[in-house]
Amino acid sequence: MVDNSIRVITIIGGGTAGWLTAGVIAAEHLANSEQGIEVRLIESPDVNPVGVGEGTWPTMRGTLKKMGISETEFFRECDASFKQGAKFAKWVTGAENDAYYHPLVLPQGYSDINLVPFWQQHADKVSFADAVSFQGYLCERGLAPKQNTTPEYAHVANYAYHLDAGKFSHFLQKHCTQKLGVKHFLDHVTGVNSHENGDIASVSTKQSGDISGDLFIDCSGFHALLIGKHYNVPFISKKHILFNDTALACHVPYPDEQSAIASHTISTGQSSGWIWDIGLPSRRGVGHVFSSKHTTVEKAEVELRDYLRLSRPDIADELKIRQLDINPGHRQVFWKNNCVAVGLAAGFLEPLEASALVLVELSAAMISEQLPATRGVMNIVAKRFNEKFLYRWDRIIDFLKLHYVLTKRTDSQYWIDNCRPETIPEGLQELLTLWRHESPWHQDFTQVDEIFPSASYQYVLYGMGFETQKRATQRRSENAQLADTQFRKNSEMAQKLLAGLPTNRDLINKIRQFGLQKI
Amino acid sequence: MPNHQQLDNITHKNLRVLTHHHPNFGDTTSYSRLFTSEFRHAQGDYPILFRKNSETGQFEAIALFGFAVEENLFLDDNGWHANYIPLAIQRRPFLIGFEPGSQETQGEPKAVVHIDMDSPRISESEGEAVFLEQGGQSPYLQQVSSVLNAIHQGDTETRAFIDTLLHYELIESVSIKVKLQDGSNNELSSLYSINEEKLTSLAADAVYSLYQRGYMQHIYMVMASMAAMSHLIELKNKQILSTDV
Repeated sequence: MVDNSIRVITIIGGGTAGWLTAGVIAAEHLANSEQGIEVRLIESPDVNPVGVGEGTWPTMRGTLKKMGISETEFFRECDASFKQGAKFAKWVTGAENDAYYHPLVLPQGYSDINLVPFWQQHADKVSFADAVSFQGYLCERGLAPKQNTTPEYAHVANYAYHLDAGKFSHFLQKHCTQKLGVKHFLDHVTGVNSHENGDIASVSTKQSGDISGDLFIDCSGFHALLIGKHYNVPFISKKHILFNDTALACHVPYPDEQSAIASHTISTGQSSGWIWDIGLPSRRGVGHVFSSKHTTVEKAEVELRDYLRLSRPDIADELKIRQLDINPGHRQVFWKNNCVAVGLAAGFLEPLEASALVLVELSAAMISEQLPATRGVMNIVAKRFNEKFLYRWDRIIDFLKLHYVLTKRTDSQYWIDNCRPETIPEGLQELLTLWRHESPWHQDFTQVDEIFPSASYQYVLYGMGFETQKRATQRRSENAQLADTQFRKNSEMAQKLLAGLPTNRDLINKIRQFGLQKI
Repeated sequence: MPNHQQLDNITHKNLRVLTHHHPNFGDTTSYSRLFTSEFRHAQGDYPILFRKNSETGQFEAIALFGFAVEENLFLDDNGWHANYIPLAIQRRPFLIGFEPGSQETQGEPKAVVHIDMDSPRISESEGEAVFLEQGGQSPYLQQVSSVLNAIHQGDTETRAFIDTLLHYELIESVSIKVKLQDGSNNELSSLYSINEEKLTSLAADAVYSLYQRGYMQHIYMVMASMAAMSHLIELKNKQILSTDV
């Protein structure tokens, strides 16, 4: 009898997607023991990985912890800093004072009460984010989300990371090969060898011969060697919804070594796109992502340099800018036969809400948790995986589009086109209609592990001035007294944290010097 | 603001130091650092615990003197009532400073004696002389030097001890709840102690390694010192009763 157990997993590609996936699976399936699964990773020495977005979701803390990584080492080696959410500037009116926060902490008392209707009565005095969460205050002052006595991965205010993707991938490689038992092949894949049933038997390499596997994971980035070139799984473009298809990126040095590090991502709307601004300890990463249908590369570069001039008039004109072409969309399916695509091979969306790495984490987590024991059950797992991730891509696309459709900007065709109904997914249109009468809360999204919980929708909707009308009748859960208590709690919390938290720069310096404790 | 100066026999020729303990001398502190070499002497008087240093976030061992900020239950106008006083208190107003490395020290920074000239212990008329008339070290300064040496060495040893405890996951957070005679509940947080459950389930080679380095003795001193907590509570209750009258 043929033993069709899944014993060997072969990953193609050594960027962050490849190493994260390898680490998650190797840690759970004991790749460093005889009884565990064998994890192989083939990394091409000739291919330069694309550093996908440098922002993560808070989930990354759990992912790193599960892999047995020390957060202190992660900070020291990956040029990492704290991220407490995003600030969106010039997305609503385009005016100088137009900005709102999408923080990572949930609105105060979120499990007990929906504060939206109560906040709406004071909407002229305080922003939604500031009324229900203290995190915007911390971000405005460049404060860290914890103290140096807070243990590794624990938080005072929920946080994610900004990181140097190149260093991160190198760091993961070291951990995966030295601690988790991942077998690393530095070699170029030259061909794919199939079984009769269409499964991949092995990949041929330049120097290491044929490398076999029971399950193959395509982390080869835009090359999509297995899911694209080999299996020809169609790519579903989403450019009709999310127009941006080109990015101009650069690294911006700080004026000096101790300059403040922003503890949030700053996204600033432009005439035909937006500019990201991410603060790492050693530099900022800034880029302009835009629609080539609505503007030219030259004009986009002028806008980017204008933006850079605001903070660095001394060097804005000399900074080297790199152009990247991007293609928003994803594969029709992600798991085909015994091959599953993770990372850019699966698809790409603009880095507006740092969805790239979180999708890698979620993919790796599901593959690892539901890892088929035999080839016989793999098709069932594949079907479930495809359903789940098509749902997830759609939800991310909806959520990204939400940032555009609520704009009041009419100063360029780009913003006008973004609000055209034919560019808005039907599901999102329905939700927006619904939310005109009832603000989103727990039941609006049905999966237990939604990427963007209803709280995120609240922050964007009410940050952008969306109006939900008051019901004609009352509800029991609309408890004005409880709402007042929550607003007061939030403002007390803000005062307390503003007094007790160090700056982002200070804490990162201390972590580098002394380290954080594990307990 | 402390005014730290490197000690020398010209600038500080006539310097005298008040060596007794008094609330006005900055001795009203609810804890002080403690080094492993002192555990044996300190455990009879004070609970020995661990806390994170607010500057570095790193663990340090401490002797506990009180339940509230700046509460030292061992101290009154007549002095410090305990058999043993921790080195970190004894050293005052002296401290260790470092000179940049030289050829003589093979580039290593050299430890030298500093003094806080703003300390209320500083005097020119009362207390112990620091230097002899000819400029030599007084017996008092010699004793201070040996205290500072013990701290310097103790710092390294204690850090190694704590690192080992952390390595074996033998430190756990403890919440100490104290109910006093006036009915008030006091809770001490952000403190850590030995995880006894982990200690008893430690593998044989780990136990051996702890014994070999003398760490097992320190561990038991820390555990035994918790008996001093009842003494501390007694002192606090006495204080409450005396203020009631």
